[in-house]
Amino acid sequence: MGGPDMAPHTPPRSAPAQPAPAQLTPAQRALAHPAPEHSVHQRADTGRSEARRTRRGAPRFRMQPGGPEFRGGRWMGLVLLLVTLAMWQIATRFDHPDFVLSPSEIARHFVEALWSGELLPHIGASLVRSLPGFVAGSLIGVVLGLLAGVARSLDQLLSPVVFLTYPVPKIVFLPIVMLWVGIGDLSKIAVIALACFYPCFINAYYGARGTSALLVWSGLNMGARRSQIFRKVVVPSALPLVFAGLRVSLALSFILLFSTEMINARSGLGFLIRQSESSLRFDLMYVAIVAVAALGYAGDQMLILMRRRVLAWQDATSG
Amino acid sequence: MSARWPDPVSTFRRVALLAVGVLAWETAARSGMFSPLIVPSVTRIGYQLWLLATRPEALVEAWYSVARALGGFVLAAVVGVALGVLMGRSALAAAFLGPLFSGTYPIPKIALFPIFIFLFGIGSLSKVLLIFLECLYPIVITTQAGGRAVNRVLLWSAANMGASRARIVWSVVVPATAPFIFAGFRIALPIAMIVVIITEMISSADGLGYLVMYSLASFKTDRMLAVVIVIALVGVALDWLVVRLRNRLVFWERLESYYAE
Repeated sequence: MGGPDMAPHTPPRSAPAQPAPAQLTPAQRALAHPAPEHSVHQRADTGRSEARRTRRGAPRFRMQPGGPEFRGGRWMGLVLLLVTLAMWQIATRFDHPDFVLSPSEIARHFVEALWSGELLPHIGASLVRSLPGFVAGSLIGVVLGLLAGVARSLDQLLSPVVFLTYPVPKIVFLPIVMLWVGIGDLSKIAVIALACFYPCFINAYYGARGTSALLVWSGLNMGARRSQIFRKVVVPSALPLVFAGLRVSLALSFILLFSTEMINARSGLGFLIRQSESSLRFDLMYVAIVAVAALGYAGDQMLILMRRRVLAWQDATSG
Repeated sequence: MSARWPDPVSTFRRVALLAVGVLAWETAARSGMFSPLIVPSVTRIGYQLWLLATRPEALVEAWYSVARALGGFVLAAVVGVALGVLMGRSALAAAFLGPLFSGTYPIPKIALFPIFIFLFGIGSLSKVLLIFLECLYPIVITTQAGGRAVNRVLLWSAANMGASRARIVWSVVVPATAPFIFAGFRIALPIAMIVVIITEMISSADGLGYLVMYSLASFKTDRMLAVVIVIALVGVALDWLVVRLRNRLVFWERLESYYAE
């Protein structure tokens, strides 16, 4: 670990007083917490806890900066979902085209496909492609991002390349990778890994850069070695943003998984959607779409659970 | 992250890095170890690039892709900012729509593409609407976070000076949220590019994504790589435009980027 300059340096050269993280991170925090749970790292200057106490003073607007404290907010969303489903169900009673199925029909077909074993091999094939890609891409991204955040030489080498190629749609590399490593799973895994690399790198980079200099100084003052500071100061303080990046990467990995499978594959959920669509088996198409949605949702929930476990200290210290 | 371009050392480093990459590619192409189909030489890619840039029919393909991506993106920007500001400033709207957005956020909307094809036809409309749907989420979520973070002193001052509710939203909330809005745009724009290329690869007879698959299927890999370069440049150019626009509109808070000024 040693060697490079370990203190999270202030922006090199002529950067202004306000560092980039302050601009990029709130948005990424927002992506990391779309749910109206109260965010634990808000800007210090807005005095949130005070805002809650003096809420009566707020004119006209209901101002609850910590998030809407609407009683039963979660249930309202559920109600909206149920109402939508009910309206959909009712609408299918009237004259409708073949490709519209009612929710109850979709649920029935889903259970049937699950029991008949029609669905499971495809789910397995999809996971075999997406998980290695996600793990490899985000691991490399996080490690390189953290290191680029603390080591100036690596920063100057990697960051321009990463930030300038970030807006390139990674899916265009699929045909190239297909040429090089063949049409099989490896090309899909490689493209997924490439796409997952970017959000993880950028978030880990800003996370490491955003480490409070005070904490690093305290660590140095107490005689910590550079590797210790990296492990015990930089990494923990970058973790919230790392999780934000992981979450974006996970969503991206699913998008790329299904699109690569739709383009060319003989198995997997994307293939199933394509195939059942072209053979007009709408029941199977909806089953596959529901499976895709469930998989995406489950992955996201797992990541949130993991985040809650790893970052349990955070709510306690900065709430 | 220097904003000023004429920094000779970093410019040199970038140019050198690019040159090393191109040289390595060319050496690999000329070494004879790989088939020219797999690693076509730089000159052939450059020739194809020139063909793409000078032939009107290739420009039309690029125009299709850009128009679809921007169409869906602009639609998502308008709707997303409106929804995000509403959800950021109204507890009722947030309670109603918040769970809907956070619940469906992790679901890959691309899976809905076949249904969209049936509903809206195989032409541009289904693609534009899918791009709209994919771009809507980051924009709404970041705008909502920004709307919530508006400094309440500003709101109080505006209300105190007799500004109407609409005026406060337009003159205080929207400008104060602008940095967040643009952060959302910068997340959404690459997504728009990804989705337009994917949908054109899957089902289309025009656009850059189709051109990639078509060149690959006809074993014109030099042409395919040239199209890939064009797509990459389009993506970077659109992002650059957003950064420019952002720094023009949000003049009080500069966003540092690696783009030349």
